[in-house]
Amino acid sequence: MPDISSVTTEVTAKPAVRNRRQPLASRRYTVEVRQQMAWHWQALILALALLLGLGLSTAILIAAGVPGGELFNEFVVLTLFDVASLKAVLFQAAPIVMVALAGCLAFRARFWNLGLEGQMIWGAIAATAISLFEIGPESTRLPLMMIAAALGGLAWALAPVLLKLNLKVNEIISTLMLNYIAANFLLHLVYGSWKDPRDAFPYSPQYRPFERLPEFLDGYSFAIPMAIVVALLAWWFVSVCRAGLYLRFVDATPKVAEANGVPVAKVIIGTVLFSGAMAGLAGFVVAAGQEGRLTQAFYQGYGFSGILIAFLARNNPLAAVVVALLVATLFVAGRNLQVFYQIPFSMVQLIQALIVICVAGSDFFIRHRLRRTQGRES
Amino acid sequence: MDLILNWLGNMPDFAVPYALAALGLILTERAGVLALGAEGLMLAGALAAIGMQLHFGLPGLSLLAAMVAAALVSVLFAVMVIILRINQVIAGLTLVFFCLGLTSLLGTLLEWTNRPVQGLPPLAIWPLSELPLVGKLFQQNLMVYLTLPLFFAVVWYLNRSTSGMRLRAVGENPQAADAAGISVMTYRFLAIMAGASLVGLAGGYIAVLSTKMWIADMSGGRGWIAVALVIFARWSPWKALVGAVLFGCIEALIPQLAATGVRLPQYFVLMTPYAVTLGVMIWVALSGRGQGDQPGALGEPYVREERR
Repeated sequence: MPDISSVTTEVTAKPAVRNRRQPLASRRYTVEVRQQMAWHWQALILALALLLGLGLSTAILIAAGVPGGELFNEFVVLTLFDVASLKAVLFQAAPIVMVALAGCLAFRARFWNLGLEGQMIWGAIAATAISLFEIGPESTRLPLMMIAAALGGLAWALAPVLLKLNLKVNEIISTLMLNYIAANFLLHLVYGSWKDPRDAFPYSPQYRPFERLPEFLDGYSFAIPMAIVVALLAWWFVSVCRAGLYLRFVDATPKVAEANGVPVAKVIIGTVLFSGAMAGLAGFVVAAGQEGRLTQAFYQGYGFSGILIAFLARNNPLAAVVVALLVATLFVAGRNLQVFYQIPFSMVQLIQALIVICVAGSDFFIRHRLRRTQGRES
Repeated sequence: MDLILNWLGNMPDFAVPYALAALGLILTERAGVLALGAEGLMLAGALAAIGMQLHFGLPGLSLLAAMVAAALVSVLFAVMVIILRINQVIAGLTLVFFCLGLTSLLGTLLEWTNRPVQGLPPLAIWPLSELPLVGKLFQQNLMVYLTLPLFFAVVWYLNRSTSGMRLRAVGENPQAADAAGISVMTYRFLAIMAGASLVGLAGGYIAVLSTKMWIADMSGGRGWIAVALVIFARWSPWKALVGAVLFGCIEALIPQLAATGVRLPQYFVLMTPYAVTLGVMIWVALSGRGQGDQPGALGEPYVREERR
């Protein structure tokens, strides 16, 4: 196929000499779409991109005053070779895995669920309500709280998906606005009627011991098997069950799916509600795990991470688990840096953003080929 | 009486950032680029403006710095969506969190947080400022008055100038624009930068002229509201201005009501801008004003090699 672009713009082109020392502006680069790329090249490009992202992050951290050796110690040695840290990372990973899976599912239904944080908040609020009003006997309290959390998140996801399907209201904006509404409602509760009467801090009374997540083995939180179960469930949903097959159809071409009798609206609604339920459960795990109560900002940072992990894992539930583990390491290390070096926690978000930029950018080099075409005159 | 006087007097302080940000977003989105990064660009502008204000104390210079900083940061976004063809939603979100992290890190490291600055003095437009009831509306800082000519300029550019029509062509149908010899990439790149500078100006306005200090994450969702504002203004600058004034009125009313001693649940009051945004979006959808005004190629990357 003749390259029209290089012909039309080079009206005053020099004679047809293939000169290597042309001025830079007259050298033309054209981008071609690459059909296939060997997997080891793909892996190499991806690895280089990750390395670049990590390098930039390290440079920023060192510029911010963290000694380089300490950084290595914090991220690599402690997280890989220290049992207590490993527990902390796994424990931190549990809610992140759930949020990331929530992101994966919603995106597979072509629904930009940016309301993960709002759904987390409602999940935690619903679970706390069970604890506060002492609903159900002691033995079934914990499962009841989990169910309530899932339902809370599900309910908060219902409005945007119905609005999108029925009225074409942009879900990016509606879910974000619902986040802010949920966050303010949470503040209303923890500063108001649900405030712990025992002290002056804005949080709810602590859950009773039997309402908190138990431990298993020695010291590993029950949140970890929960996350594994949720991950397997999500994997089953997208790759084994019938709804998952429909979902792939809807994701590929909604119109053709509709024409072939796939219940498109039902599949989308169901998937998004499942996504909301998982986010709600994640909210409960964070609230129950960290302080065992509602606090004013327990959800911060999770929503964005969930979305980015889903993007990096290409909406694949099992890949999301792996990426979520790495992000959990970042969370734990970020919290330590906050304590020891007064680095704001949003540093974690900056690092994630940098890595996503690099990895997403690397996709361009996997899918395209850059070729220099020097003044190709006709 | 006093309530209405103060309410209208404070309204522009809340309305101008929305108006400027929405104007910038319209400029970008008319070129077919979905600009979700407004929240982050506002923060970048706000931090740059505060920094300049703390060091030089010249509000004009600070606002200029806000525009330049946001435009520079937007180059990153432009590279992501135009050259690297990353999904525009992901690129926009990433930009927001990149800016959120970077600005709160820089604000902490440079110790600019919570340091009050001097804003611009109000300028009274004499005969109008003596009017009863609406007098205070004409005792605003210079930037408020400058917003209106900015709107005229952008509207003139989009509707009357050749370049503006080309920009809209790029947003409506990049294939056709490309065939007509318009460089889609250049137009989109410049539209992103120009739009970002206006969004940055909005951030600078909040920081230097309204809040008068830097607090991490100080834009507090206003960038997202501006994005919503553009959607229900159907990408029309004048409708966006009306929307911005409406939101300004609502937000300015909150402190006024509190001052009169009306007891309102605080956090429900803080929810109102977001709830109203959601409500207006539903109302616009219900009223059946179609999707017709949306730039035809909004959110679609233009890949020349893949043209059909």
